[in-house]
Amino acid sequence: MTKALKINKSTEQGILELLKFLLEKGKVKGVFTLKKISNDGAVAYSLITKPDELKDAVPLYPLMPTNAGKLLSRFTLKGSSNEPVAAVVKPCELRAFIELVKLEQGSLENLFFISSTCGGVYPLKMAADGTIEKNLSKYWDAVKKGEIPTDLRSACKGCEEFKPYTADMTVDLIGKNDIDKQCMIFLNNKKGEELTKGVKGEFLEKAIDKGKIDKFQIKRESEKKKLFDEIEAKTKGMDGLIEIFGKCIGCHGCSNVCPICYCKLCEFDSSDSEYKPSNYEIELKKRGGLRVPPGTLYYQLGRLTHVTVSCVGCGACEDVCPVDIPLSIIFKKVGESVQKMFEYVPGRDIKEEIPLITFEEEEFTEVED
Amino acid sequence: MNESKDNLKTKGAVISAKSGTKESIIGFLEKGMDKGVFDAVLISMRVPAGDSFAYVLIKDESILKDAFPLPPVMSVQGAKAVSSVTRLGKGNMKIAAIMRPCETRATVELSKLGQTDLENIILISMDCPGVLPISDFLSDPNKGMKLFDDATKKLDDKIMRPVCQICDKSSMVAGDLHIGTLGAKKDTFFIISNSKKGNELMEKLGIDLKENIDSWQAKVKNISEEKQNKRKKTHKDLKSETGGLDNLLDTFSQCINCHNCMRVCPICYCRLCYFDSDKVKRPSEDYLQRAESKGSIRFLPDTTLFQMGRMMHMSLSCVSCGACEDACPMSIPVAQIFSMIADETQGLFDYVSGRNLEEPLPLVAYKEEELQEMEDAK
Repeated sequence: MTKALKINKSTEQGILELLKFLLEKGKVKGVFTLKKISNDGAVAYSLITKPDELKDAVPLYPLMPTNAGKLLSRFTLKGSSNEPVAAVVKPCELRAFIELVKLEQGSLENLFFISSTCGGVYPLKMAADGTIEKNLSKYWDAVKKGEIPTDLRSACKGCEEFKPYTADMTVDLIGKNDIDKQCMIFLNNKKGEELTKGVKGEFLEKAIDKGKIDKFQIKRESEKKKLFDEIEAKTKGMDGLIEIFGKCIGCHGCSNVCPICYCKLCEFDSSDSEYKPSNYEIELKKRGGLRVPPGTLYYQLGRLTHVTVSCVGCGACEDVCPVDIPLSIIFKKVGESVQKMFEYVPGRDIKEEIPLITFEEEEFTEVED
Repeated sequence: MNESKDNLKTKGAVISAKSGTKESIIGFLEKGMDKGVFDAVLISMRVPAGDSFAYVLIKDESILKDAFPLPPVMSVQGAKAVSSVTRLGKGNMKIAAIMRPCETRATVELSKLGQTDLENIILISMDCPGVLPISDFLSDPNKGMKLFDDATKKLDDKIMRPVCQICDKSSMVAGDLHIGTLGAKKDTFFIISNSKKGNELMEKLGIDLKENIDSWQAKVKNISEEKQNKRKKTHKDLKSETGGLDNLLDTFSQCINCHNCMRVCPICYCRLCYFDSDKVKRPSEDYLQRAESKGSIRFLPDTTLFQMGRMMHMSLSCVSCGACEDACPMSIPVAQIFSMIADETQGLFDYVSGRNLEEPLPLVAYKEEELQEMEDAK
């Protein structure tokens, strides 16, 4: 039986208490969490070192301004943190960070992870137009009842990976009807237990309610099937792909916000993707007409090939797309089918190697003939 | 604008457009290809799904028939399209590029910056009514098309990009030829030449540039003055809203560091932006130290710095096209802010980005007598 910490405060207050405790007792040097950073309520990830600054922190805010995995990679890219830091992140952000560590883009050392069962996040548009605040109560009502909140990022609607794999602590959210009164934090390992020692609260022997999780899983599964079926119909064949990606404006915002796309210079922005005038002349002779800049579909399919085994389905790509291409569902669908071939779940376990860098003699024998 | 240039623009050709302006422009381009004056045309076209537009390099006249000289949206800034074809050299094809004035101007800037070779390019601009914000158009492309057509006819800019509403250079002639629809008699448009290249082309096509274009000039002057006033007012309001460090931080507080604005900016041509480079990646103790000095820091800490840095890097060449704002997922009024700063920085050097290929970029030209008022500033 795993251990759990019960704090008799609202869940958000409980987490803030815990974070305050960690900073005040010097158990961590910094806290990495979402925080209100402006008068008009903009929320961004912040690195907090003074307990007072936690007053504006909103660790459970249903928004992902940037995938935190990408930010933690920036934090530890030049070497692991010398000081302990606690990070409050969503399950897909944690998985993205684990993938980045496997890809040598960060370090887990000295980081503690607090995650939760995740109801999903709202699209960035809601933060941009200021409607998110009005939707918060609706969001938490749904989460409490173990239902999928409406108007989520489409990637979140059908996300089955809403329970973190490797967090040191997991905050109970989905289906917990007393979120406003009580905070339940599951301590998943020794690190979690050590860290919380001395927190004002009740320590219990308690595991996450599997029944609630399974019920939610089923809802997400059926939502995902709907999304996948829809996208499959739309993207059939070359014509389908051209139709769906035709409006791409080539901003490559999707790659810039993708936690997995860590390349400093993307292949598709490099000189390899530049063509001489003579190349254009030859192509033009063949085709009579040529879209410029070229390579719209090539970029999308190329990126898909590059990130697909590690895609965590966070939906950041779709949220920044200025022309609303349903990228996250396309990438998630292809990602899952590729990942399945290798029985791989990106970010599940730091010890699982990325499939493309491991060779197994007995693999894909069916393809050989 | 220097005098000789202005003289060039006092006369033009009047082209009959009985079958419609769009059709006549395409007819003019077909004629150019038939006579071998140019080999290909760079122009906008609907994408296969019909829900947006893209630049297409066309050699085949049957494809040219479906071209859209004045699309309702600017999905890609035209200068980027020209640069993608000619960045590595002028090539053997002569290409006529039909774009909006701000796209032509950005192309001129890119040429000065060594990012395009214009020797074999004929830049043709058009009077521009503005473009719809791309998200507005995409929410219902058919409706968007109709709204754009109506607004163009009525010269009503209320539904256009916010920077288009304050654009005082929507008829600026900066390329080789310009198609003027303003002030033209029914079923006609003007063609105005702005360069030797333009003159030669018209001569080869057997079109005289002898007609009076007073009515076009008067209308353009009128609109541009009106827009200039609106621009000044908007910038003044914006300055009070975004001036000072606190307001500035608030303005960019929603920025998520996607750098879409930079990616779609025609002037931001760097292959690897400084703000994506190793220079901005710091060791963790550095971030922690910074956090400790203030109690907490936003992460990434260089979010506003990126905006300021980009502004410093490109404001002298900014053409206020609005591509940045269109691509911002957080609806930050980037283009309006950048246009305000650009007017001021360019004003310091009496420079107008993309106005004239012969004008050197202010930062590469040294004038001994320049900015003396700064010398004694303490």
